[in-house]
Amino acid sequence: MTDKTRSIDLANISLRDALDLAVLVEEEAKDRYEEFADQMELHHNPEAARFFRFMLAIEAKHESRLAERRRGLFGDEPRAVKREMIFDIEAPEYDEVRANMTLRQALDASLRAETKAFEFFEAAAEMVQMKDVQDIFTELREEEREHQALVRQEIDRLPPEGPARDDDDEIVAL
Amino acid sequence: MTTSNAPLPTYQAKDYKSELKPIWCPGCGDFGVVQAIYRALAAIGRPPHEIAFVSGIGCSSRIPGYTTAYGFNSVHGRALPIAQGIKIASPELLVLVAGGDGDGFSIGGGHVAHAVRRNTDITYIVMDNQIYGLTKGQLSPTSPKGLHTVTSEYGSLEEAVNPLLYVLAYGANFVAQGTPADMAGLAEVIEAAIRFPGFSFVNVQSPCVTFGEDDQQVKNHRATMQSLAKLGHDPTDRLAAMGLAQKYGKELHTGVFYKNPDPPPTMNALIKERQQVLSEKAPPRSRIFDRFLQT
Repeated sequence: MTDKTRSIDLANISLRDALDLAVLVEEEAKDRYEEFADQMELHHNPEAARFFRFMLAIEAKHESRLAERRRGLFGDEPRAVKREMIFDIEAPEYDEVRANMTLRQALDASLRAETKAFEFFEAAAEMVQMKDVQDIFTELREEEREHQALVRQEIDRLPPEGPARDDDDEIVAL
Repeated sequence: MTTSNAPLPTYQAKDYKSELKPIWCPGCGDFGVVQAIYRALAAIGRPPHEIAFVSGIGCSSRIPGYTTAYGFNSVHGRALPIAQGIKIASPELLVLVAGGDGDGFSIGGGHVAHAVRRNTDITYIVMDNQIYGLTKGQLSPTSPKGLHTVTSEYGSLEEAVNPLLYVLAYGANFVAQGTPADMAGLAEVIEAAIRFPGFSFVNVQSPCVTFGEDDQQVKNHRATMQSLAKLGHDPTDRLAAMGLAQKYGKELHTGVFYKNPDPPPTMNALIKERQQVLSEKAPPRSRIFDRFLQT
């Protein structure tokens, strides 16, 4: 948990900072999915690219909803929590992708990312002191649970996977 | 003269990210390294136009193009001399050097020792993937003995160069190691290296996802890495650092191996001092001109 944030006192975080943290978590995930989609397009993997763009849209929607809520409660008050203080809370790690990954592998990577975000907010909700912050983190945890269900649903819809592609001879490094 | 009360601009990691999209293989460790560099630069807070980023040739040497700093994608193995020249000519610039293990310890290997002993205030970040990835997977100086590659069908017969021990032996005053498996820790050591006055060296274990060994990937780093701080290592003890550095290739230690608590003067400081002494001893211009006319 501590390796996911830097210079943030989660136990004593205020409601404003908690909302800013939540917005940044979604922003980071959105940016990562965009990078992954770009990488997949560059490496001629349109199926995985399409899925990552789908996830990007979900994270962007979630981010803008949280940002609107923050504005409603705190207006333009300056942000104390910065993007540099968080590390891959919901964003899938860079090593989750491969040039020749299947759609199922892309979905699995996304499920792992949603699971770790769920675990982060669950641990944060237990740690915080203020009731309203705890409510926010609990709410976010439940949203991550919904995202997990959404990804699982997509996985279940996939046909059974055949043997892995042998791409040993394919040129992937540019 | 009027003074402005406007607050100084602050910079975010995204301010150092260029429009150019990285073309590394998906899953490459270098994606994490460049993110850590953006974050370290944001923490330092210098504007992009006050930063010069020099590299050699190789996958990791693409990094200057992915930042908004001044970039110089130079000649294979020659990033260090170019960076030193930039720093000596423009001391006000923050100078970073990036490259791979092949660029730094094979073709450019001879330059490392001199960059260390010259102690120019630059930060050298090596993305050590233990293979030549850009040219499709040949043995590099840090490839482990026994590695099977396209140029070593029966396994490498050579011992690997140990970059940590190499720079420590030549007297480097700041030596650290990181991995993209620990982004927070990596950003922290890069920031500490940049802040250190003098030559600083960061070895980043950045696995090659296409030609690297399966058991050397980032996932494996997460399971095996050991933080030097948590091990209770004293980073002011050079001999202890050398002892730990000998485990390179067998154990993955992250954090600061050595940081000289009493950093010696940098090359720029020595040059300035020498210029001061010489200018004090120099005769007045008129006398120089008279002497010139007499001869």
